[in-house]
Amino acid sequence: MTNPVFWVGVLTLALIYGSLAMVLNVESGWGGMWDLGVAGLLASGAYCYIILGIDDPDLGTRFVPGLPMWLAWPLAAAFTGLVALAIALPSLRLRREYFLITTLAFAEIIRQIAVIQADLTRGTTGFSSLDRPFDTLVEPRDYNYVLLGIVAFAALVVYLITRRIGTSAYGRTLRAARDNEALALALGKRVNRMRIKTFVVAGVLIGAIAPLYLFYIRAITPQLFAPGITFTIWTALVIGGIGSIRGGLVGAVVLIVFTEAVGLIEVDPQYINILVSIEPFLVGLLLVLVLRFRPDGLISERNAFGTRAGRRARRVPA
Amino acid sequence: MELVLDGVRKVFGGVVAVADVSAVIPQDQVTALIGPNGAGKTTLFNAVTGFDPPDQGTITFGGRRINGLPPWRVAELGLIRTFQTPVGFTTLTVRESMLAAATPWFMETPRGAFGLGPGFGRKGRKLERDAEIRTGEIAAELGLEDLLDVRTDELSAGDRKLLEFARQLMAQPKMLLLDEPAAAVAPANIGRLSQLVRRLCDERGLGSLIIDHNLSFLMQIADEVHVLDQGVLIASGPPEAIAADPEVMRVYLGEQAAEGAGP
Amino acid sequence: MQNIVFGIVTGSTLAVATIGFAMVYRTENFLNIAHAQMMALGGFIGVVLVDSYGWNIFAAGAVTVVSVGALGVVVAAVFFRPVRHLGGTVLLFTSIGVSLMLYAVIIALFSTQARFYPVGFGGRYEIAGVNVLTADLVIVGLAFASIIALQVFLNGTGLGRAVRATASNGELARVRGVPVGRVSNTIWFISSAFGAMAGVMIGVLSSVNAEIGWHHILTVLAAAVLGGLRSISGVIVAGLLLGIVMDVSVLYIPSAYRPVVAFGVLVAVLVLRPEGLLAVQRRKEAAVT
Ligand SMILES: Nc1ncnc2c1ncn2[C@@H]1O[C@H](COP(=O)(O)OP(=O)(O)OP(=O)(O)O)[C@@H](O)[C@H]1O
Ligand SMILES: [Mg+2]
Repeated sequence: MTNPVFWVGVLTLALIYGSLAMVLNVESGWGGMWDLGVAGLLASGAYCYIILGIDDPDLGTRFVPGLPMWLAWPLAAAFTGLVALAIALPSLRLRREYFLITTLAFAEIIRQIAVIQADLTRGTTGFSSLDRPFDTLVEPRDYNYVLLGIVAFAALVVYLITRRIGTSAYGRTLRAARDNEALALALGKRVNRMRIKTFVVAGVLIGAIAPLYLFYIRAITPQLFAPGITFTIWTALVIGGIGSIRGGLVGAVVLIVFTEAVGLIEVDPQYINILVSIEPFLVGLLLVLVLRFRPDGLISERNAFGTRAGRRARRVPA
Repeated sequence: MELVLDGVRKVFGGVVAVADVSAVIPQDQVTALIGPNGAGKTTLFNAVTGFDPPDQGTITFGGRRINGLPPWRVAELGLIRTFQTPVGFTTLTVRESMLAAATPWFMETPRGAFGLGPGFGRKGRKLERDAEIRTGEIAAELGLEDLLDVRTDELSAGDRKLLEFARQLMAQPKMLLLDEPAAAVAPANIGRLSQLVRRLCDERGLGSLIIDHNLSFLMQIADEVHVLDQGVLIASGPPEAIAADPEVMRVYLGEQAAEGAGP
Repeated sequence: MQNIVFGIVTGSTLAVATIGFAMVYRTENFLNIAHAQMMALGGFIGVVLVDSYGWNIFAAGAVTVVSVGALGVVVAAVFFRPVRHLGGTVLLFTSIGVSLMLYAVIIALFSTQARFYPVGFGGRYEIAGVNVLTADLVIVGLAFASIIALQVFLNGTGLGRAVRATASNGELARVRGVPVGRVSNTIWFISSAFGAMAGVMIGVLSSVNAEIGWHHILTVLAAAVLGGLRSISGVIVAGLLLGIVMDVSVLYIPSAYRPVVAFGVLVAVLVLRPEGLLAVQRRKEAAVT
């Protein structure tokens, strides 16, 4: 409990997940696109960033581009946007459940490609000990604070971007089309085009967040991008409140602090399995409980958007 | 400018919902489309607005062929419809719904959200301000001004119906297609509705094609009436002539009388 | 040819796994992600009974199937029924939560180590130049026997007919006075029991580990969707076809791509076939009302 470095790490992770959840909220909460393929986009960004930065021929990969970080980072974001476009074009023709399954399948395909194309990704071996921004400026043991600062700044930027989207005419029409697609079409809204753009924007943002996740994890293997991470981000968003502006961030902090605190419990090594199982159990339990007792999440969309009068208004009998 | 239907036909698995309907509907007058339940009125709207393209026939608006166009394109050309069941944008407030309808497409892009692109700066701000002013005006005319901040799913059925009309009006149509706008609306508000429909037509030349079962409402405001029965257009003419037509009495009014007080 | 045989075996287990998933989708109207964890749980309970307690595989299988089936009924009553009125999306996310909890229970009870069924069934036959193991025959036989048994139950008993009525039109069945609670319990029992059976089969064919639930949910989803989600015979055909396609694809492309093939087929079919039209259909429905 007293170790500040531990809590710095927890907060860093929470802010990364929170940023991802806020982005997910744009496409799913407002755009109505139930995307279960977040892991695939995250993997695209992360691998693109890593591969563009490879400068050591001894790693045995086919390409050794050796691009500097400041170049690889935006390129990774752009590449992820392209991947998102490639996923969106076919998937968005499908109805909600089918969309959900298709995005999940695309994410799995991306992960399997990362396993198989070992000449690019080093397969299940992956990469470790990455360069991190400003890591030459401070002592390694102080770096956690630097990373927290970077991640907090990024989370703030993501928050401002998504808030701007949410309160703009664009966000309003996204929500309108989510509520009633036929009506939006009847008003001349180019619903499909708007959703594709939204999906790509989400892709770019996720691709831009991906390197931060790598700086935190410090190693990359395809297993990182199993569907579990998508479910965790979704859980954070559901707990915080789908459709609200800050919900994803709040939910992620609650979720990650809650589950990581469990890591502090000291147990006999023979009970290690139980310790390992506590985290998924708590995530699951929290998700189930929030859905049951507060299905709108901690912050509801209504509170995020309704005006005071709207919040006060009670259901008028029809 | 006019909406022209030429031999429009729509079949649902053997049921002929609309049978070779041909009609010319001027853009600057109020036209009523009546007929008993299941006559094919809504189906005709769906065919015109691109939601359910016709199996045969052509539809033109202002000389431009519109069948085959997607719904949003038809709407962009100025043909704006309402829906019979007024679901609306459930979680948006009345104000948000009306503003959303008025927003031009170039402001509804990720770029637009950051004030970039064609909606940048003064022009965009002016558009927003105008839309807000019009929202207030239209809401006041329909008696919705106290409900502007209420969410759509919390409105009464009658108010939702009025919102259906007010919202579509915000999209600045060239012609309105109204599917039963007076259904479930309180009698006092029906008066406001008919006044507004009539005034829009007389003062601004914004005509409408209106489906409704409330004949006294329609007969007051319509310049011309078309009667549909089992997909077939059986009569067209001025309201007085239609009211006196024995065939119409038989298929429509007669049935209504037999049913009691109408739908 | 050999690969087709492999494919039939894979496909039979997949069909068994998917039937339960599709039944719940039909009657409860949501994608139950937790179904695959029931498979994993079945695989583990079976292996513990056989490996640690030395049970006969068939006895162990039967006990596993019945106990996981019962667990399914309990899970549904505790977790799914209370949020049913909130709709398919809440149910779907609840099932993700339940998946995570079941996954945690599996790790806590059985650890993350892979385990193997110490059963051989001994025999190996060569039919027309194709190797067939007795285990393969037993699995395919059992898969089909249980599917036929299910059909007999659904068509031949009063409760089965009530289940079918609920599946084809829940509202109507309710109005007609079908015993809703019992039907729902029956469906959850059958669904979870079939999941557990598939888990044991997969364990016998390869091995069980804590991750198999997550690995199989996608193939189950793929088979269910390809089968049209709503028809049991469609699911069986889709399961078999998908199994065969995966195992035959190994001849033409690196075997590492086997899972990718399943998802590739899924995506291709979803995008090319009339489900794309479903979107249009729904738009029409919305417009017509
Ligand atoms: N999507 C559809 N699929 C099958 N049949 C349909 C469909 N839409 C409409 N129909 C049928 O077409 C006929 C015309 O229906 P429509 O909704 O156009 O009638 P309507 O004149 O609008 O009636 P109401 O006054 O009740 O609104 C009806 O027989 C209806 O059952
Ligand atoms: Mg109608």
